[in-house]
Amino acid sequence: MTRWYEDIVLDEPFLLGSHSFTEEEIVRFGKLYDPQYFHVDAEAAKAGPFGGLVASGWHTVAVGHRKMVDAMDAEADRLRDLGQKPGVAGPSPGVNKAEFKLPVRPGDTITYDFLVKDKRPSNSLPGWGVLISIISGANQRGELVYRAEIASFTKLRDYRMPFALKAALALSKLPGLGWMARRR
Amino acid sequence: MNALTAPRRYFEDLAVGETVALGSVTVTREMIFEWAREFDPLPFHLDEEAARKSLLGGLASSGWQTGALTLRMLGDRFLNGIASAGGLGFSDLKWKRPCMANDTISATGTIASLRRSAHHPDRGIMVVDLVVINQKGEEVMTMSLANLVEARAERGA
Repeated sequence: MTRWYEDIVLDEPFLLGSHSFTEEEIVRFGKLYDPQYFHVDAEAAKAGPFGGLVASGWHTVAVGHRKMVDAMDAEADRLRDLGQKPGVAGPSPGVNKAEFKLPVRPGDTITYDFLVKDKRPSNSLPGWGVLISIISGANQRGELVYRAEIASFTKLRDYRMPFALKAALALSKLPGLGWMARRR
Repeated sequence: MNALTAPRRYFEDLAVGETVALGSVTVTREMIFEWAREFDPLPFHLDEEAARKSLLGGLASSGWQTGALTLRMLGDRFLNGIASAGGLGFSDLKWKRPCMANDTISATGTIASLRRSAHHPDRGIMVVDLVVINQKGEEVMTMSLANLVEARAERGA
């Protein structure tokens, strides 16, 4: 989220937008990352478990992530237009669970939704909060095709670093020492 | 069963504890930029200066890209040799360390569980635990992937 940790409201749904999956991009993704016959060969896929070509679940997830990044950019622009400073989003430590409920076929349009289910200050990264978010995708018939529960870091606005930590950080920036501290 | 999967190993041919070395891949700057442009255009995946200032401390692949490259290794070395019938999802995915530009990652898959599917009498559910390490032997990513596999005989048959 490009909102500060303090400003993130739980259970507020965001529409992330839609994406139509073409046969060409399903096959291209499949050949690069998930080369099973029902992701790469439309003819062979007819006799397979889905009765035709389907997108790799990882493809559906990757597009959903892209939609989320675009929505974060749009939210940052909106805050800047209001004269506010956007928050800082960090990397994700992981995904609790992701479920592929229904296949995504060529021509399907998937609409992605996002909401933050839970938040807490991070224990391991001072100054950052951990968010637990749900991303889901539904097809043009409104059927859920996937749902994922993802953890991510976002910065606290009102964080004041304790003096000891500030000193340690300054020390870690010195050449040599910092390298030793960072290499763990 | 179809002509393509007929010569492959089936659900009944798999055993819990089977471990497969999935090979390795070197993740270049160009690969990181290519993935980031399409799927993860965050400054710390697209710009080396922004990456240095970020929590990652340098240019690193998108976690989703690390996962996709692992899936590719799993497909080439394992899933394309069994009668895989599609993924159900994954759980406990942990990005433990960033995969930095020019890191070589290698993966190992272990069959963690096998059970018959409740929905498909002719399929089973296989859970594979995946561990991805870098060239220093440090864990980069772990996850458990659930996948359907065709069975030779229907349940109860």
